[in-house]
Amino acid sequence: MLQLEPQNLLIEETFNTALAPGYEPVSLDRILTDFDFTTYHISTPQDKTKILLSIGIKCWSDLSKYGALELLQKKYGGYSFVKILSQGSCEPGYDVSLYIDIEQVQLDDEAKLELINELSLLKRNCFAAPFLKAFARYEVLAKETPVDPNNLYGEDSAATSNSNEEVLKLDYRGEESIYIKPSNDRVTVIFSTVFNDETDKIFSKVFLQEFSDARKRSIQKAPQVINSHKEVPLEIQHIAPPSDDKTYITFVLFPRHLSTEDVKWNSITHIQLFRSYFHYHIKIVKCYLHQRMRFRVQSFTKILNRARREVDEEELRAERKTASGRRFEVK
Amino acid sequence: MSQSLKPYLTAVRHSLNSALCLQDFSSQLVERHNYPEIENKRTPEILLNPLYISRNESERVLIEPSINSIRVSLKIKQSDEIEEILVDKFTRFLTKRAENFLILRRVPIEGYDISFLLTNYHQEVMMKQKLVDFIIEFMEDVDKEISEMKLFLNARARFVAEAYLNVFD
Repeated sequence: MLQLEPQNLLIEETFNTALAPGYEPVSLDRILTDFDFTTYHISTPQDKTKILLSIGIKCWSDLSKYGALELLQKKYGGYSFVKILSQGSCEPGYDVSLYIDIEQVQLDDEAKLELINELSLLKRNCFAAPFLKAFARYEVLAKETPVDPNNLYGEDSAATSNSNEEVLKLDYRGEESIYIKPSNDRVTVIFSTVFNDETDKIFSKVFLQEFSDARKRSIQKAPQVINSHKEVPLEIQHIAPPSDDKTYITFVLFPRHLSTEDVKWNSITHIQLFRSYFHYHIKIVKCYLHQRMRFRVQSFTKILNRARREVDEEELRAERKTASGRRFEVK
Repeated sequence: MSQSLKPYLTAVRHSLNSALCLQDFSSQLVERHNYPEIENKRTPEILLNPLYISRNESERVLIEPSINSIRVSLKIKQSDEIEEILVDKFTRFLTKRAENFLILRRVPIEGYDISFLLTNYHQEVMMKQKLVDFIIEFMEDVDKEISEMKLFLNARARFVAEAYLNVFD
């Protein structure tokens, strides 16, 4: 499993069975978890045919500030049988609930699959709001001050260096944050991340170096990746407090990553999985090295055992006598 | 095998061969005790001169012989942070399994990464030549293993980064 999946498999399966023809309604009560302290609760509080899907996200207050609720309205509002509950009316302890009456679902197979897919992408859809907002702002800025085609080296002229442009900030894991800054020729996404383990920190340097180099080497289409340890990137220096143990990773999304609707969604889906992907692969490498050392140690034991003197069984069992003629056995 | 490794290993092999000349020796201080004299060092007359063999600044071997035991300590090459971590992990892995490794000392002596303690008992149950072989092979393999792991880490990081960035288009 190289890539992490953006959708939640358990939600997908739950609704796959719930919306299948000939589904026997049962009462559900499932609590699921996802990356970044996200929890889902799938339940049937009143009726077996009405499923309540609730989601709790750590940084919901930030997301709703950037219009996550409107985006969900747009995504799920089209379905007449889905009720979106938020704030006072949603399930206590969660941030948003979708109340789905599965008896009312009358869709053909394809539309059904799409609905299931959208439901399983609930977390991504919530996180997409600030990105979409930044992308929209980028389009406005790009129109206001078009990029000078003669400015080949991308130098910041006075007009384009919009240092007072609002930076969108998500504290998605408490300590760690995502910053998004639109500009007239790019959108900059900055992740700050913390490593609890010293080893992880050092391994991360190797990984980040490769992320930065990959673009230079072979993949020209990819966004530019810049990383810095401890030092806060210029774009967010005015809002991020300086700290010693944070690592900052900057992604620069170019117009090619923001051109069409599909490309935009693709960029959003992947970029918000970055932290999970990054940490996940560090763990995998550690795991592999551990396995390898285990194997090595085993082979060393073998070599050492080769040094043992072979004990001659027969000699051991042979009768022995002391000088006075008394018999004894060797143990 | 690189040019400087061979003479280094040969030197270690010969020194070990001559140092591994052990005999049973009961303690002169405590009656009916018999312990590796090199560990308590309280009977100076049976301790021999310690021997340093260095390949370069970061790689060396210390051999401390005595009448009934010798202590062999290795310092493994660590040129950067990653190698330091790998060596630390690897030696910890080994020392935790010291039980299976009879001759491995649970704690390396100061300034070294890993120590072996060979006593006259070990020489009774194991063949001397093979013991020396083991230590030499160990020295060879550890270096190889560490550099292979480091290469793997880099290769994997590159692969992971490319897999992630390739999805953007």
